[in-house]
Amino acid sequence: MLNAIIDEISVNERLLLSDIKFKIEQNKIYSVLGSNGSGKTTLIKSLSGLLDKRFYSVKGKVFYKELDLLSAGYEQMLSIRRKKIKYVFQDAVNSFDHLKKFEYYFKLTAGKDSELENLLDYFLLPGVEKLFRLYPYEVSGGMAQRISFVLALLADPEILILDEPTSGIDSAISNLFLLKLKEFASIQNHTALLVTHDIKFAKKISDEIAFISKGKFYNFVPALKFFENENIIINNFLTLDISF
Amino acid sequence: MNFLLKLENISYSVRNSSSRKAESTKVILSDINFELAKGKILGFAGESGSGKTTLAKIIAGIIKPTEGNIISNFSDDWEKIKTYPVQILFQNNGDIVNPLRQIEAVIDETLQIRNRNKNIFHEKEKIFDSLNISKSIRTKKGYELSGGEQQRAALARILAARPELMILDEPFSAQDPESQWNFLNLFKKINNEYKMTMICIAHNLSLLNKLCDEMIILYDGKIVEKSLSSELFSSPNHPYTKFLLKAGNYDLKYDELKFSE
Repeated sequence: MLNAIIDEISVNERLLLSDIKFKIEQNKIYSVLGSNGSGKTTLIKSLSGLLDKRFYSVKGKVFYKELDLLSAGYEQMLSIRRKKIKYVFQDAVNSFDHLKKFEYYFKLTAGKDSELENLLDYFLLPGVEKLFRLYPYEVSGGMAQRISFVLALLADPEILILDEPTSGIDSAISNLFLLKLKEFASIQNHTALLVTHDIKFAKKISDEIAFISKGKFYNFVPALKFFENENIIINNFLTLDISF
Repeated sequence: MNFLLKLENISYSVRNSSSRKAESTKVILSDINFELAKGKILGFAGESGSGKTTLAKIIAGIIKPTEGNIISNFSDDWEKIKTYPVQILFQNNGDIVNPLRQIEAVIDETLQIRNRNKNIFHEKEKIFDSLNISKSIRTKKGYELSGGEQQRAALARILAARPELMILDEPFSAQDPESQWNFLNLFKKINNEYKMTMICIAHNLSLLNKLCDEMIILYDGKIVEKSLSSELFSSPNHPYTKFLLKAGNYDLKYDELKFSE
């Protein structure tokens, strides 16, 4: 569904990542593992031209169907990002304008009301009446992250991209994300890509796992194979997993 | 007495703002009893909203309990020394380290409050050494530091106040596995070198298990389980503890997600 051939990503002429080639197919969940600062967020933002062009340069092509997203026009990309490729960012609270109530965001996203109620209920969120009257600064980080996820799902995208979905939220809610993501990726023509440093979460959720360290991208391999990796750098990272 | 603090029947409630009745209250903590042994590390675990941070604030004297007593057994007469023997490492260190002051100046100031007219040089060196704060970091200002450096600077200031109890509020959230290990080892080192009694709040049971001697599981404002860390994982007693362990392994099914007794 997505075919990325990226030669170089650099910021202010400093090379961040190079030689990234991967394909994303339907009905699978893909995770990119790596430490903080390794470039995971930069990578997923580069896929749909979200990096600020004044500072970043991305050389290469990212095909969504027949279209190269990196050379597509602004209007076309806007429409794709609204309907086809949705992001759930890490800093959910601050991805909203604090002076607009949640009602504004839900009205922007077309979706059936019944589906909205179902999703709010599923994510243990307050009902429409209460939620629509709240401002982003009035909810906790974990709540904002769930709202952001609901908004993304309402648009019924084909590709869902999530940045650190489990960071800063407690484990029961992380379980909720895991279950919903699995359900999402099982629908025809749907797929999910996430970046995380939560090794246990990646192990539980992923079909394929890639790794980033010190500017190098280690391509997606089936999850089971990833955990039997013989690469020293990947193994060192995996031994850091405290959660056993 | 080998306890540092003893909590007896601590309860805390707030006025319920969503109810119009003036006397309506919401209970945040009820009937909390435990002893905190000197030199040990105690963990508080539970979901968001279980009352972990409120309990920490009561112990630190930031808020007063509605009911109950805290019996303290501090060795210093803290009213004379002007710094309180309980210090908290808050969740968002970035907001706490003054962005516009040099780290060294902040530490100097705290040390001087504690040791008027005394030579603070050796104590300062010891703190910087044990936290691995290099010469180049010392002269930097708060805004120039990375997240991990800010957390170490906040720790340095706490050590400079020479508390008898240090409370860590979610020190591991949003850190990658490598920094989690580094801080875990750092906290153990502080516990060891300074004979520091500690309380650590976290929702990640695996991390707490690695750090703490004993753990308290809070659910809905009550202590549902208190046991040695080594036993909590092998033989959890309370259904809520079992729920948390399962959640930590991402093994919950949808109808198990809301825990209820």
